[in-house]
Amino acid sequence: MSKKKKAGIGRVFMWVILIAIAIVQIFPLIWLLDFSVASSTEMFTSGLLIIPKKIMWSNYSKAFTDGHFLLYLKNSILINVLAVILVLIASIMAGFACRRMRWKLSGFVKTMLLMGMMIPIHATLLPNYKIYTELGITDTMWALLIPYVAFSLPQGLFLMTSFIESIPVELEEAAVIDGCGIYRIIFQVITPMLKTSIATVSIMTFLNNWNEFMMARIYLSSDKWKTLPFSILDFTGQYSSNYAIQFAVMALTAAPAIIVYIILNKHITKGVAMGAVKG
Amino acid sequence: MRRITKIMSTALTVAMASTMLVGCGDTSTGTAAKKGDDGQVTIKLFSNLTDRKNGQGLVEQTIIDEYMKDNPKVKIEVEALDEEAYKTKFKAYSMSGMPDVVSIWGQPAFLDEVVEAGVLAELNPADYSDYKFVEGSLTGYTYDGKLYGLPRNTDIGVFYYNQKMFEDNGWEVPQTYDELLGLADKINEKGIVPVAMDGGDGWPLCVYLADVLFKITGTDYTSTVSNAIKTGDFSAPELKKATELLKAASDANLFQKGYDTQDYGAAMNLFTNGQAAMFYMGSWETSMATNEDIAEDIRTNIRVFTMPTVEGGKAAATDISAWNGGGYAVNANSEVKEEAIKFLNFMYQPDKLSKYGWENGVGLSAQDQSSYMTGNETELQKQIVDILSKSTNLSGTPINDQGTSAFKTSIESEIQSVCNGSKSVDDFLTAIGKACK
Repeated sequence: MSKKKKAGIGRVFMWVILIAIAIVQIFPLIWLLDFSVASSTEMFTSGLLIIPKKIMWSNYSKAFTDGHFLLYLKNSILINVLAVILVLIASIMAGFACRRMRWKLSGFVKTMLLMGMMIPIHATLLPNYKIYTELGITDTMWALLIPYVAFSLPQGLFLMTSFIESIPVELEEAAVIDGCGIYRIIFQVITPMLKTSIATVSIMTFLNNWNEFMMARIYLSSDKWKTLPFSILDFTGQYSSNYAIQFAVMALTAAPAIIVYIILNKHITKGVAMGAVKG
Repeated sequence: MRRITKIMSTALTVAMASTMLVGCGDTSTGTAAKKGDDGQVTIKLFSNLTDRKNGQGLVEQTIIDEYMKDNPKVKIEVEALDEEAYKTKFKAYSMSGMPDVVSIWGQPAFLDEVVEAGVLAELNPADYSDYKFVEGSLTGYTYDGKLYGLPRNTDIGVFYYNQKMFEDNGWEVPQTYDELLGLADKINEKGIVPVAMDGGDGWPLCVYLADVLFKITGTDYTSTVSNAIKTGDFSAPELKKATELLKAASDANLFQKGYDTQDYGAAMNLFTNGQAAMFYMGSWETSMATNEDIAEDIRTNIRVFTMPTVEGGKAAATDISAWNGGGYAVNANSEVKEEAIKFLNFMYQPDKLSKYGWENGVGLSAQDQSSYMTGNETELQKQIVDILSKSTNLSGTPINDQGTSAFKTSIESEIQSVCNGSKSVDDFLTAIGKACK
C-alpha cells in the first residue's frame, strides 16, 4: 500500500517537473509570437508578455515584402536541403568505408574526419574567404554549401558509424552471396536500416545550418544567394531597430525549422539514444 | 527497397545537377566592379545602413536611385551590413579587394589602420571647396595631410528632455553639473527615471564621459586625450575628475536601474513612453519629434539641452560636444575609380545628402544646411540647429574613437565596470591605459 502511494507521489513529482520543463522550453516560442504582433513601442513594457492594443499583422506583411522573404526562403531551403543530402550521402558512404571495409588507413581517415569537430568555425572565416576569392566562388551558393557540408559531416559520420556497427554483418554476407555489389549493399541493404540515424543527422544538419549567419555574411555580398537570417538586417537601423518587425521575421524564419523538427521529432530521440549505447 | 534506391538516386542526381548549374552561372565574381564593353559601369557600394526604407538608409538609397536615373549607363549595387558585421567584412575585403565606394568612420580607431593598409583612394580637397563643408569637419578624414573620405553627419551629444513633464513638476533645465545631479533625486521621487541611458552598448557612456571631460578641459580636450593615448598614461587630473563625475551620476541614480545592461532601443523607449524625463543621445534622434509611433503629447514636447557646465571647468555653456562620425570613401584599387569618385561627389552635392537628410530629419549633415530651412521644422530641429550655430567650440571625436580599435574595445567594456562600481576609478584609468600600449 505504502509502496503504491510512494509511486503515486513520484508520478506527480515527475509530472510537475516535466510540465515545468515543457513550459520553459515552449515559452520562448510563445514570447516570439506574442511580440511579433505587437507594435515596437509596446515592446519595452515591464511585463513578461504584452497584450497588444492592436494586433499588428502588418509586421508580417512588411517582413514579407520589405525583407525579401520569399527569395531568402528559397535560398535557405535550397542550400539547406542540398547540404543535408550531401552530408547524408557522404556520411553513410564514409561510415561504411571506415567501419566495415578493411583497408590500411580506415581508422586514420575516420579520426581525421572526426577531428573536424574540434575546429572552431570562426577560425576558418578569413582563410576560407581568401581561398574562395582565389577560386572565384564568393557570392555563389558554393561558398555556403561547402562549409555547411564540411562542418556537419563529422557529426553525421560519428552517428552513422555507431549505427552501422549495430547492423549484423550477416546481412551483408547474405547480400554478397546473393550477388550484390558494394553500392547495392550500401544503398539497398544498409541505408534502409539507418532510418533513425538518417533522421537524426538530417535534423541536426538542418537546424545547425538554418540559422547560420556568421559565414553567410562574410561569403555573400549580393542578394542572389542570401539566406533567411539576412532579412532581419533589413530592419536593423543605424542606431536602433524596428524590433516588432524583427520578431515577425524571426517567427517566419523559425517556422520551417520547427516544422522540420516536428516531422522528424519521433526519430531523433530514438536515434540519439541508440547511437549512444551502441557507439 | 527499390523505391528507396530510386529516391536516393533521384535526389543525388538533382543535387549534382543543380549544384553544377549554379557553379557554371557565375564566372565573373570578383569583388570590385567591372567595366562592360558597352560602356556599362557597375559601381559596388558597401554600406553600413541596412534599413533602406527609413532614416539615413532611405536617404542613401534615394540618392542612388536618382543617380542611376540620371546616368542610365551606371548601375550601383548596394551591399549593406550592420556596423559590427560591416567592420568584420571590411577586414575580409581589405585582403582581397574592396567594393568601389565604402562607408568609413573618420576616427583614428577606424581610419588609421585602413589608410595604412592603402585601400582608400586619395581625394582632391580642392574639388570640395564649394561643397560647403562645415569648418573642421574634414579633419577626421585627413591622414598625413591627405584627404581620404568625406563626412556624412555632424553629431552632437545632447540631453533630450520632456518639456511638459519638466513644467508640470517644476523642474528646471540644469545650468551646472551639480544641478543635473540634484535633479536626479527630485525626479526619482516621482517614480520617474531621470535620464534614460543606453549603457549596454558602452559607446554612449564614452560619449557622456567625453562630454564631461570637454566641459572640464575646454579646448585642451583633444590634446589631453591624444597625449594620454600616446603615452598610455591616463592619470591626468582632468581625466580622473571626468570619470569621477560620470561615476557620481551613476551613484546619484541619474540613470535608470540596470542601465548598464539595457540597449539602445530599451533606453530610448523609456523616454518615448514617458517613463523617463531625459534621454542622453546624439543629435540624430531628432527624428523622434516626427515619429508617429511615439504618443503625440510626448513627441511634440521633446526639447533638448547640452551638457551643463562643470564647476572649475574651462568650457563655457556654448562649448558643445560635437563630432563627425560616419562618411564615405573610394577604393584606391577600384577598376571604376573615376566613376566611383564621380558618384561620391554627386552624393555630396549640397542639395543631396545634406538636403535629403534634413528633410528626413536624420540629423545634421557635415555641410551647411541653413539654406534648406523651410520654417516647417519641428521645434526640436530648430533648437538643435540653434545650439550648433551658437556654439563657440566643438569638442571633436569622442574619447573611445580616438585610439586604436583595441583601445576602443577596452574602454567601451571597462566603462561599464567603473560605472557599476565593480572597478575603481584608478583601476579603470590604468586598464584603459594598458590597452594603448
